[in-house]
Amino acid sequence: MTTTHPAGPPEADEDAILADITAMIAEVLEDDGLDGTDGLDGTEIGTQTRFGRDLEFESIDLVTLAGHLEARYGRQVNFAEFVASMELDDIIELTVGRLVEHVASCLKSAGAA
Amino acid sequence: MAIIDTAGARLHVQRLGPAEGRGGRETVVLLHGLLTDSLASYYFTVAPEFAAAGLDVVMYDHRGHGRSGRPALGYQLGRFTDDLGALLDRLELPGRVHLVGNSFGGTVSFDYALRHPERVASISVVESEPATASWARKIAGLLERVRHEMTVNESEALDWITAHRGRRTARLARSAGRLVRDTAIADELTVCAPVTEDALRLLDPPVLAVYGADSDLCEQAPWLGSLLPRSRTVPVPGHEHSVLVEAPGRVRDEVLAWIAEHPASGAPATRPRAGTGPGARPGRGPGTGHRVPAVPAEVNTP
Repeated sequence: MTTTHPAGPPEADEDAILADITAMIAEVLEDDGLDGTDGLDGTEIGTQTRFGRDLEFESIDLVTLAGHLEARYGRQVNFAEFVASMELDDIIELTVGRLVEHVASCLKSAGAA
Repeated sequence: MAIIDTAGARLHVQRLGPAEGRGGRETVVLLHGLLTDSLASYYFTVAPEFAAAGLDVVMYDHRGHGRSGRPALGYQLGRFTDDLGALLDRLELPGRVHLVGNSFGGTVSFDYALRHPERVASISVVESEPATASWARKIAGLLERVRHEMTVNESEALDWITAHRGRRTARLARSAGRLVRDTAIADELTVCAPVTEDALRLLDPPVLAVYGADSDLCEQAPWLGSLLPRSRTVPVPGHEHSVLVEAPGRVRDEVLAWIAEHPASGAPATRPRAGTGPGARPGRGPGTGHRVPAVPAEVNTP
């Protein structure tokens, strides 16, 4: 009974999650062959960064991001459920920080279970 | 995310369903609209709730749209319909499925059901119409207008959209403009031999048609209802063409009820699949001397 991570696995650390999600965002933007944008293109990503306004994410980009989240964290992080109560316009204006908090809380509850 | 290759296009597919496996449940396939639309319109609205209701949910981006491939050629309606068939085969969904189509996605759903009635348990369309002659004229006009605006005055058009509809819509419009400008969609989608009323009267699967009550399309509700004996038309007050994303709760309830009334395990398909091309069997509709092909063979196959 000497665990130093009572709240769950190491991935539940918000800085680590932010780094993960930043990498996923870069991947989503790189995959987007339509707009001539190349990855992050020097954009700094922080917790206040908004998917729509700052990153020019479209809703289909968020679907792709959701796929990356599930691949990384498994079904315990359910993006579709997370946004189920939001309007499409609110979803697109989500901040990265809000998503990080959601992932952390999912991982903590899974770790505690 | 999964990418599935069909003839001539790579299709981006997403699937949602309860974690406890897919066996024995009803499958619903969600088809989105034209140009600015993608499977995201379902993913962030009704899809999670369909899954929570116990359905196996399949969504995909049409060719040229969303994260699917964008070939230069191959945008006849029949190619979109063939994509759906190929997808069902590749996902090993041999039984009957429920189709839900928003706008153009409904047009594809009608077309598929006319060609493969034995694979469709029910159809739910939102703000949509079959590929009639009037549909073809409307689509031709729309595509030509978009092509003109995005070729001749792209920056002016995008400035106007940004000012009046916001950046997000402008970005979608820019992407739609590329689709129209850089592919043959504006030429090919319009070259479509229209479906006739006689063919629609023979449509097997039951059809739910949801409209925004303030949309032009809603005027078609009595006409469609008179042609399709097993149909229900539902105008949603206070909405226009975007009723799916603006009133997802209402659309969800209507579609779930329709699916529950017409389970795939219920009445069997009235026509066997094998050997039935259009016109392969004698007409069964009264008053038609000959069977009108539901949907003609594909136009100008390269």
